[in-house]
Amino acid sequence: MSTTQARVAADPTCWSCGAATGGEHFCPACGKLQPLPRGTDYFALFGLTRKLCLDAAELEKRFHQLSWKLHPDNFVRAGEYERELSLDRASQLNDAYRVLRDPISRVEYLLAREGMRKEGEHKQQAPPELLEEIFELNEWLDELRIARQTSSNGEMMALRGKLEAARKNFEEKLRAVDAELDGVFGQWDAALDAGADDAARKKLMTRMNELLNRRSYIRNLAANVQKELAEA
Amino acid sequence: MAYSDKVIDHYNHPRNVGSLPKEDPNVGTGLVGAPECGDVMKLQMKINPETQVIEEAKFKTFGCGSAIASSSLATEWVKGKTVEEALAIKNTDIVRELSLPPVKIHCSVLAEDAIKAAIGDWKRKKGDTTPAAQTTTTHG
Repeated sequence: MSTTQARVAADPTCWSCGAATGGEHFCPACGKLQPLPRGTDYFALFGLTRKLCLDAAELEKRFHQLSWKLHPDNFVRAGEYERELSLDRASQLNDAYRVLRDPISRVEYLLAREGMRKEGEHKQQAPPELLEEIFELNEWLDELRIARQTSSNGEMMALRGKLEAARKNFEEKLRAVDAELDGVFGQWDAALDAGADDAARKKLMTRMNELLNRRSYIRNLAANVQKELAEA
Repeated sequence: MAYSDKVIDHYNHPRNVGSLPKEDPNVGTGLVGAPECGDVMKLQMKINPETQVIEEAKFKTFGCGSAIASSSLATEWVKGKTVEEALAIKNTDIVRELSLPPVKIHCSVLAEDAIKAAIGDWKRKKGDTTPAAQTTTTHG
């Protein structure tokens, strides 16, 4: 989104020579390393807009270029402030890369920045249909779990089969959620390109939030069935 | 993280596990969840329409020990109370009783939501459209 970059590029000035930096990592006048301008998000740090379909290779390339430039080794002979700055900036860069590299943490980060997903503080709400479905799936898994504890060796084979089927089922559901998320990512990017209004963007973010909630439930179920299988 | 003795007790000997007939006009069902940790909690109560007293309460929770203990405790507390009294139960009461650590406070919030959702469901069945309270979650 271009507004982010416009905001970043507003008017930061160099801490050393006072020249306008234009939000660059290094001062265009004196070449000194700059602190990250306030409000710069992880996307802007890489010179990216808040699009969700990120080219992994391109992100990696930008990460390597930046880490090479910001690396504390380059600043061993610099003043104390710039040395500390390079440490901060290098660690920020690593955080940013870790978050953006993974599509799920990327979208979670975006939603948190947009105030749509507040972990811990505000709990996530789940629609009743999702809760019903998850409750039933949990009950089903619970039945398998109880059967595992009480079954004879002969019955174990059949049970393993059922657990395997459950695992496949959850993995398929997970893939379906991921595919749907991918689709919404594409719509989000298109909406940014089209300069969509807040209401349209909010609608897409709400949908992404719902899908993330569903994903989180199903991932949990998949982990539980995996645990049962390991013990079966 | 160490669980308090009370949490462990409820976890090992959960009170009132089970379910009540959902279609019964005197039964209210509250189904709530916390997607972040994968918890789902179902709390049901049978309420006497004459006296407004909660005569029976059952729960089933899939989640961590604190979520199970919170809902188990909630069923114990609401039994014998009137609807009004049950609605006054705050999540902080549960936190205090079970000595829940800060990271588990959301489990108690879930239990409070479940009580409100169940009562809200019962009121709706009775044709009362005023919301039970500020319920933030959903009901089945």
